[in-house]
Amino acid sequence: MEVVVGAIVVPVEGVQALQVLTILFGAPLVSGVIAHFEARLQGRRGPRILQPYYDIAKYFRKETLVTEESSWVFLAGPIVAFACYLTVPMLIPVLTTFPLPLGYTGDIMGGGFILALAGFAVALAGAESGAPYAQLGSSRAMTFGALIEPTILFVIFAVALITRTDLPYALSATIRSSASQMVRPSHVLAAAAFFLVVLVDTGRIPVETHSGTLEFGMIDEARTLEHSGPPLALLKWGSTMKQLILYTILINVFVAPWGLASSQSLGSVLLAIVALLAKAMAVGGVFAIIDNLFSKLRLFKITEFVASAFLLAVLSVLVFYAGGG
Amino acid sequence: MSALVVVLVCLPFLMAIVACVVPIDVTRHLTIVVGVTTFALSIGLIPGVTHSSVTAGGLIRVDSLSVVFLLAVTFLYATTAIFVRGYLPLDPSAAGRVYGRRFYAGLNLFCWSLVIVPLVNGLALLWIAIEITTVVSALLVAIDDTEGASEAAWKYILIASLGLGIALFATIMMYYAGTSVLGSSYNLSYPTLLASAAHFHPDVVRFAFVLAVLGYGTKMGLFPVHTWLPDAHSEAPTPVSALLSGALLAVSFYAILRFFQIAVRTLGPTFPRDVFLIFGVATLLLATLYLLSQRDMKRMLAYSSVEHMGILAIGMSFSAPIAVVGVLLQVMAHAAAKGTAFFGVGSVVRKFGSKDMSKIRGGVGVLPWSGPMLILSVLALSAMPPFGIFRSEFLIVYGGLREPRDTVAAILVVLVTLAFFGLSWFTTQTMLSPSVPPVEGSPEAQVVKGEVSNWIVVSMAVGLLALLLLGVHPPSQLSHLLDRAAYELRAAR
Amino acid sequence: MHHVPSTYDGITAGLAVLVLLSEFAMLRAPLLRSQVRLYAFQSLVVASLAVFVAASKHIDELYVLAALSLLLKVLLVPGLIMRLLRDADTDLAGSSVLGVASAILIAIVVAAFGFFAVGSLHVSSSSLPTSALSIACAIVLVAFVLIILRKDVVSQAIGFFSLENGVSIASLVVASGLPLIVDVAFLFDLLVAVVVFGVIMRVHHLRNDTLSTHDFDRLRG
Repeated sequence: MEVVVGAIVVPVEGVQALQVLTILFGAPLVSGVIAHFEARLQGRRGPRILQPYYDIAKYFRKETLVTEESSWVFLAGPIVAFACYLTVPMLIPVLTTFPLPLGYTGDIMGGGFILALAGFAVALAGAESGAPYAQLGSSRAMTFGALIEPTILFVIFAVALITRTDLPYALSATIRSSASQMVRPSHVLAAAAFFLVVLVDTGRIPVETHSGTLEFGMIDEARTLEHSGPPLALLKWGSTMKQLILYTILINVFVAPWGLASSQSLGSVLLAIVALLAKAMAVGGVFAIIDNLFSKLRLFKITEFVASAFLLAVLSVLVFYAGGG
Repeated sequence: MSALVVVLVCLPFLMAIVACVVPIDVTRHLTIVVGVTTFALSIGLIPGVTHSSVTAGGLIRVDSLSVVFLLAVTFLYATTAIFVRGYLPLDPSAAGRVYGRRFYAGLNLFCWSLVIVPLVNGLALLWIAIEITTVVSALLVAIDDTEGASEAAWKYILIASLGLGIALFATIMMYYAGTSVLGSSYNLSYPTLLASAAHFHPDVVRFAFVLAVLGYGTKMGLFPVHTWLPDAHSEAPTPVSALLSGALLAVSFYAILRFFQIAVRTLGPTFPRDVFLIFGVATLLLATLYLLSQRDMKRMLAYSSVEHMGILAIGMSFSAPIAVVGVLLQVMAHAAAKGTAFFGVGSVVRKFGSKDMSKIRGGVGVLPWSGPMLILSVLALSAMPPFGIFRSEFLIVYGGLREPRDTVAAILVVLVTLAFFGLSWFTTQTMLSPSVPPVEGSPEAQVVKGEVSNWIVVSMAVGLLALLLLGVHPPSQLSHLLDRAAYELRAAR
Repeated sequence: MHHVPSTYDGITAGLAVLVLLSEFAMLRAPLLRSQVRLYAFQSLVVASLAVFVAASKHIDELYVLAALSLLLKVLLVPGLIMRLLRDADTDLAGSSVLGVASAILIAIVVAAFGFFAVGSLHVSSSSLPTSALSIACAIVLVAFVLIILRKDVVSQAIGFFSLENGVSIASLVVASGLPLIVDVAFLFDLLVAVVVFGVIMRVHHLRNDTLSTHDFDRLRG
């Protein structure tokens, strides 16, 4: 979609910066909208839509308490994770259909690696703290990660096979090109597999209840239990950013790559920002509905769940080889 | 001739329907009449197929290969009918009458399904016919309501149906192989397929042939899909076991041979023969090893059947036409010999009340006719002259020794000798060793001397006579038939 | 391999993949009832695939076939098995030898083998894309895995019926011109087989008061 509003052209570095800034500042908004929507579905009034911003600001004002056993790793983890989350938006199609200059510094595999690095840093910081529940959460996250990472890899392979390149921009362009691309079985399977991966990585039902602190079932939330103050703020912010990044990949690479700016004019860029946030809220709404329809799986059944995601990813590659599908 | 075939198709089916309504006393004798009639009709077909084939409508086609298997099946039908007359006790109670009706209806229906397999024209109808044999025989295996029977019936129906699912896949792939030549819609009749087989896509035919060997081989008892066989054959009622071992395995082999006929025309002889060789040697080896460790008589005979199926497969892997003649002769001789052996075992089990060989001693003393005949039939199974199986295995080994790879023939001889050890140990143990004198005042039932029934003796005598005939001097018409059938199975190049 | 498949190819291959996925789902289903429902769903997808092919390629015979298989495999067979389950009063599927995740991984390996084995045949067909044949072969192999791993008669029977579904898809791919009478004969043969399965299952249940095959180890060697 191309809407030329005025002739103001945003310089390419500006668009690049806008990508990162959109994710940075739009993430808590998306998170707040999802929480509000979920509460409404359950018949409650729900928190304010801007609540996450207030929470992050509050955490920045608090003091940092550190356990005796932890070292610099405990404080470095959140910072490393946050830095990763700031890097990834440069590599994936957030606002534009054409690759931006820094977009060539890493392909989709690179993006996957950086996201994994972020998760690893947070888990390491949690395990390092010496507190039992934080360690529990870290070890669980890494265990399930053992099956999720191969799934992500296979999804990446499927993407690479379909487009013969590794750039996520290329895949979204291919998807936009015709209807037959949308119904390709390998594409549908890869998208379904990635959907399940997002569900696991953002810690939603049926893998984890993201609201409340049920220690017996917590995975992602438990890793951050021991942090406080500004590191906690960075962690919370980072996790909302991770959520939005994953949604962005799901939307702009797999499911609905429309509404991206195809030129550098200000109008189209602004439209792209709005479209992205709106689509992300829609996806989040879907997750909220899933939240209300299903119950949390018992911990040992989560392996079945991630195995199913792995199955879908493997099948997407196999079906591609089987018939060019 | 066509009328003969039509009568052959309808008669056993009508008998099955009649068995449901008519009192069992009449059914018993009527079944014998029908069995003998079908055998006579099959013999009557021999002149018609020696130079060409007999057809009746598009659905039925009889050629020399069909008649070979038809003879085996109908002979066993006749002798089993005689055997059952003597074996099945006439139970006048209501439950007994129902059982008798069910049994005879099932028996005739089973024999009908066995008869139509060699008669139908086309791979699709072949599959349907063999599926019918599976379902009817599964019901017959389960008809005796014992625990072993229910387990055996379940294993049988599951594994056999899986095999037939694969065989259906094979049929569909063979159909696909033909579409490039015959268009996308044609019926799978044998003349159509054989005429254009040379132009089929070789890879697809290869795939279809291997699937067919695996699928129909499940019903034939080839390794590794034979696992249902010992259970089903040992837990079924003895007449059913005789038919299963002698006739059902044979018609499943017939199905594979039809696929073989097509495959050699497309692929040349090497690949199909190699497939047969691999499966045959594995089957023979496994059967012999298990045979040596059996305690249950019927189970031992079941493994002997597996062994003979292995021999048949190995025989088909030899290129000399004389080996193929031997294979076909063995099909017939094995039917007679296995049937007789099962009849004898049935007599022994009925007399001693147990299938366990360790409990049976002094058989010849107790059963003056069927005892020695059982020994003879078991020896016949081990290829002792002058019986038919000796002649057939001789032909197979002779054909095998003319191969460049004559080690296979040597392996065959060694394994058959091993099997002979196992079988003869059984005979000496149960039949010839002196019976243990009963302890004074023991509560065990005394085993009464004397035959269970003269009908059983007659059925075994007929079987042994047939074996003698096949071994000493097969009638020239039969030899022509076998030669013609082997010619049908030749490779085109 | 690098050409883009058409929408028709995509949809039909997608339906075949859906059948394969329901096969995997059967590996997971803990209740016998849910397995039966999965089988009914699977047969429904196969029938709709037949209808879709019939509509796009103008093969009218397939409509009849689809209607018959709908009647048989979606309504009749699941109904019969549900009735047996009601009489038997069992709920849980027999425990399988391995856990679900391991079973899925094994099934993936097996399915991949089937894919590549059939793919190497270079089958081309006018009615369905080649991938559908590979998927059908994968369905057959995963059904085998299901039968081997499950320990009760109903699961094994459902595994067998779903294997027949896989063979049906294969026949749609390569033999859609098979004379209708033959297809109908196959279907009725299947019905007879189902009836016999039912009889034997019932006999087993009456005798042993369980549907498990755990005690099926009397006959060995």
